[in-house]
Amino acid sequence: MLCTWRGEVPASLLLTSSRTLSTLHFPAAAETAAEMSVWNYVVTAHKPTSVTHSCVGNFTGPNQLNLIVAKCTRIEIHLLTPQGLQPMIDVPIYGRIATLELFRPHNETQDFLFIATERYKFCVLQWDAEKSELLTRAMGDVSDRIGRPTDNGQIGIIDPDCRLIGLHLYDGLFKVIPFDIKGQLKEAFNIRLEELQVLDIKFLYGCVKPTIVVLYQDNKDARHVKTYEVALKDKDFVEGPWSQNNLDNGAGLLIPVPAPLGGVIIIGEETIVYCNANATFRAIPIKQSIIRAYGRVDPDGSRYLLGDNTGILHLLVLTHERERVTGLKIEYLGETSIASSISYLDNGVVYVGSRFGDSQLVKLNLQADTSGSYVEVLERYVNLGPIVDFCVVDLDRQGQGQVVTCSGAFKDGSLRVVRNGIGINEQASVELQGIKGLWSLKSSFNDPYDMYLVVSFISETRFLAMNMEDELEETEIEGFDAQTQTLFCQNAISDLLVQVTANSVRLVSCTSRELVDQWNAPEGYSVNVASANASQVLLATGGGHLVYLEIRDSKLVEVKHIQLEHEISCVDLNPIGENPQYSSLAAVGMWTDISVRILSLPDLELKRKETLGGEIVPRSVLLCTLEGISYLLCALGDGHLFSFLLNASSGDLSDRKKVSLGTQPISLRTFSSKGTTHVFASSDRPTVIYSSNKKLLYSNVNLKEVNHMCPFNTAAIPDSLAIAKEGELSIGTIDDIQKLHIRTIPLNEQARRICHQEQSRTLAFCSFKHNQTSIEESETHFVRLLDHQTFEFLSIYQLDPYEHGCSIISCSFSDDNNVYYCVGTAYVLPEENEPTKGRILVFAVEDGRLQLIVEKETKGAVYSLNAFNGKLLAAINQKIQLYKWMLREDGSHELQSECGHHGHILALYTQTRGDFIVVGDLMKSISLLVYKHEESAIEELARDYNANWMSAVEMLDDEIYIGAENNYNIFTVRKNSDAATDEERGRLEVVGEYHLGEFVNRLRHGSLVMRLPDSEMGQIPTVIFGTINGVIGIIASLPHDQYVFLEKLQSTLVKFIKGVGNLSHEQWRSFHNDKKTSEARNFLDGDLIESFLDLSRSKMEEVSKGMGVPVEELSKRVEELTRLH
Amino acid sequence: MGADGGGGGGRKNSSPAAKPAEARVGSLLAGLPSRGNFVSDNIASSMGGLQVYVCLHETAPPEGQVIDTDTTNILIRSLQLSKQKSEAKDVGSRTPGESSKGKRSASRISDGKNPSKRPNTGSTAGSSSLEETSVFSEQTLQSFTDELIARLIEASE
Repeated sequence: MLCTWRGEVPASLLLTSSRTLSTLHFPAAAETAAEMSVWNYVVTAHKPTSVTHSCVGNFTGPNQLNLIVAKCTRIEIHLLTPQGLQPMIDVPIYGRIATLELFRPHNETQDFLFIATERYKFCVLQWDAEKSELLTRAMGDVSDRIGRPTDNGQIGIIDPDCRLIGLHLYDGLFKVIPFDIKGQLKEAFNIRLEELQVLDIKFLYGCVKPTIVVLYQDNKDARHVKTYEVALKDKDFVEGPWSQNNLDNGAGLLIPVPAPLGGVIIIGEETIVYCNANATFRAIPIKQSIIRAYGRVDPDGSRYLLGDNTGILHLLVLTHERERVTGLKIEYLGETSIASSISYLDNGVVYVGSRFGDSQLVKLNLQADTSGSYVEVLERYVNLGPIVDFCVVDLDRQGQGQVVTCSGAFKDGSLRVVRNGIGINEQASVELQGIKGLWSLKSSFNDPYDMYLVVSFISETRFLAMNMEDELEETEIEGFDAQTQTLFCQNAISDLLVQVTANSVRLVSCTSRELVDQWNAPEGYSVNVASANASQVLLATGGGHLVYLEIRDSKLVEVKHIQLEHEISCVDLNPIGENPQYSSLAAVGMWTDISVRILSLPDLELKRKETLGGEIVPRSVLLCTLEGISYLLCALGDGHLFSFLLNASSGDLSDRKKVSLGTQPISLRTFSSKGTTHVFASSDRPTVIYSSNKKLLYSNVNLKEVNHMCPFNTAAIPDSLAIAKEGELSIGTIDDIQKLHIRTIPLNEQARRICHQEQSRTLAFCSFKHNQTSIEESETHFVRLLDHQTFEFLSIYQLDPYEHGCSIISCSFSDDNNVYYCVGTAYVLPEENEPTKGRILVFAVEDGRLQLIVEKETKGAVYSLNAFNGKLLAAINQKIQLYKWMLREDGSHELQSECGHHGHILALYTQTRGDFIVVGDLMKSISLLVYKHEESAIEELARDYNANWMSAVEMLDDEIYIGAENNYNIFTVRKNSDAATDEERGRLEVVGEYHLGEFVNRLRHGSLVMRLPDSEMGQIPTVIFGTINGVIGIIASLPHDQYVFLEKLQSTLVKFIKGVGNLSHEQWRSFHNDKKTSEARNFLDGDLIESFLDLSRSKMEEVSKGMGVPVEELSKRVEELTRLH
Repeated sequence: MGADGGGGGGRKNSSPAAKPAEARVGSLLAGLPSRGNFVSDNIASSMGGLQVYVCLHETAPPEGQVIDTDTTNILIRSLQLSKQKSEAKDVGSRTPGESSKGKRSASRISDGKNPSKRPNTGSTAGSSSLEETSVFSEQTLQSFTDELIARLIEASE
């Protein structure tokens, strides 16, 4: 038998090309029958990733150089080091960041950070290095009661000589916040700015009086620049030293040049111009492009990096002699993501921030690569934004969705597969029954890589080794006992190997593979459980005997032997102290009293005993250190896991927590990925336990039942894991350890609408490609088909010229068993304001191809489609239209109009439930329609009379609907079916309002996490949303009592967790649009509530006191919430 | 093809003769500023995670650093400033010391000619718009149109 096996293994264990295990099979979760409610909890599952601003300066210390990145509502602070970019902190801001500027006030040794938000708040922050805190140096409100907000966005600039901050927030006004001589800010004032259509404003360098240069468009659409001096005393402008009329029609960006050169560079679409006060005028033509971002390379301003709308990076050089600019040069450097910000860091390394694709860290090389590029991408930072649409794909119908997004724009467009949990990518596997244990061994103690894999069975042990061809083949370790089951294996000091079996502990030389020493179990006793490290062995035999051995001078020395009062179920002595080869603590799990004990080594004295309660025996204990914090983990036979904080010197246990990971016994093992230690819990629902922000997090793994796991770090596949499943041994690599895993499918075109079809195992999406020839620009639109598991492209259907894909669904019709993809389109003609023609295309998937079955012309854009009562419901311009699926005499089908409903401005979004239809209108909020079967008519039942411009709608249940609108708010409305009057019944009552601060493009029912049937959270229905900044969020409908509890927790937390820059949480979350501002209601800020878990124990206690609820209960309830995402 | 086309075009722009272009760009890229960062041979791709900043300290700015905007109408402010300037000249020629404008305006309000509903407390040198609106001479006020006065009142409230 051994022979055949020996023959088979190498072939089947050949390291195959990587193949992803993407099937998930877990016991079915309970179907969520619970209705949603008006009491909603909003939480971020994936933070914004779209980069809007970046800057570089000495923020955290006079000698520390920082990169500061703004991602809409968050700023990230990084430190530049010789080794690379070191992340420091991620700061939530209670506002959407409109401007971000570093500046150096007089007499200061480090930079301050100026942040202004879109809702007209600003703050000046300073880093206190001693306390690691962001101090507020100043803050305020810069809104005006009257004023038309600028069309081209807000401008915030700081005088290079730090005399004032300038803001352009409203047309025709320039706001000044002056500094006094001590660097304090004074009362702000407005100055009338004659130019109404401002494109850019910058301060000029080296001016005696603060001077701005204004790029503007006149009422004949010509563009000019003009300069003004700011007379701070007179609070007015004085005509500046120069102006320049009739610039490039596409001039859009100003780059002020530092002194002594001074002046400004004006970036146009066809020319780049330099001008200054001395009437120096230099210009160069460029190939037509729209420059969106620039970054200054040299402090003297002689070189700049320019990023255009197609992602091309250019170098602009100002040549100069004796402080006079003599000319301009521009050179192509290479391609990056489409840049929204460019920050030159140091030593040729540049940060490219992007809103349309992944942000990047790139290096500028002196020599071009083979493709002619001087740009080398060092790193990509994932950005999901803009999420234009997404679908939730529940491949195994387990209640856990993976979200597939239409992400990115233009050439940076992609699909992103976002799922919770960690993926194991199987590299090789072999059928193998009855594995009882797995260990890896190195060929010598100091070898960085593993060599052997020890596989234990019920009555034998086999040894596999990596051969020269990077294949695993069976080998022998002569000194080991192969005729019996192995209980533990370990590399030990002095190049020894340890094997523990039921009868003995064997010490074997790594080099000769021969037995060096042996310890035999006493007559009549056999070893039940054992653990070892580089110099220690701990084992337990029947009768509660615990034996402690040390390896000294290649000998096994029995140091201590004690008898405990009960049988021992598990032991561990993984070193957690400073010495990685020796542990001064051991953990022991017990039968009978169901306890876990901490013993000191070498004397085996009891330091601490923790009774676990219940009747389930601990099956695995583990001592480990994650992110510098020591833990004792103890897993039970029923899938529960206890975690304790462990004091590594005293052995004290604290902060006891219990979570449920599965239903079967768990076995715990540490492993390492990218230099960080994590814990793998093998069970029926394998889980990776890791630490983030010094908290333990649990992430499920995309594998079915795993019985055993051991790290197997080989040169061929570093950081891989050996995994024993039922009847199979496999080797796999593991994804990055993070909560959400994101896979990118680059498209090089932009996807707009996506839909999943379970029956054909496909995804279909509408996309378009931007074509730019030298003469004209055009777009080509497609419908594409993909395999839902491999994401392989299967089929493509090109739409007509000018025809855009607007909607896509999968649906079936009455009296027809087939499932179809229906695509709604619009002919977008340049001369029309609104499309007057579109099509509905019905495709069948046949042999992996899209087959057009039926097409139906419409009188406008088909903005939305829904499967509805075996028919097709379409939103076409102002109208809702219902189509029947009719069988013709020739056996073919057609769509036949049945009835419709007029009265919308543009019906953009529709959702249906039963006979009810909810419509999200371009500007008339939400309305509720009903389809009357008997009359074959659609009628309006009720509407929300507010003028909300909608961006997404969803029906939470029959009565409550949620909408997102274009001022970054979300709200819920309720049907008043029980109201007394027709008038009241005809009105959708607004029941919840909340400022999300994000533009939501899609709301869909679904969940990113597995619903645990035994958890309370398993019953909570959720809606997922996706936003322009790449946020994926969850809206969970809570039972009323839980809502009330959490609302109280939120209001308590607000007193402890302040807004950075003193920005107010209450104001930030208040519903706000042009017409009204009202306090948030019936929505809770989950991000704030979950930051409870980031508090220190003493702060938690203060909160607990304020709430009158024990810390443990608070932690437990908040931890449960974190498992919603 | 948009991006690729653009890229190709960009390259074409600077590569009629490939080698000189490379030399040219290389020389333009020479001497990039360096302050000792990113010098390691292989720049670490990941150097740990970002700590989420939880702000548990007081964030109120120092006294006087909560900034608001001067609500005085721009026109009125400029009139005031010119008034102040001309007064400053007058004051220079008059007895020094007697320069409080507040008092004069207060007396005018007591005449009941000022349409403002709020009484002026006569505090000096206040930056409140209301106090300063009353600095206008009677003549100036008479020259204002109804509409402008209405706006002034609105602006000062």
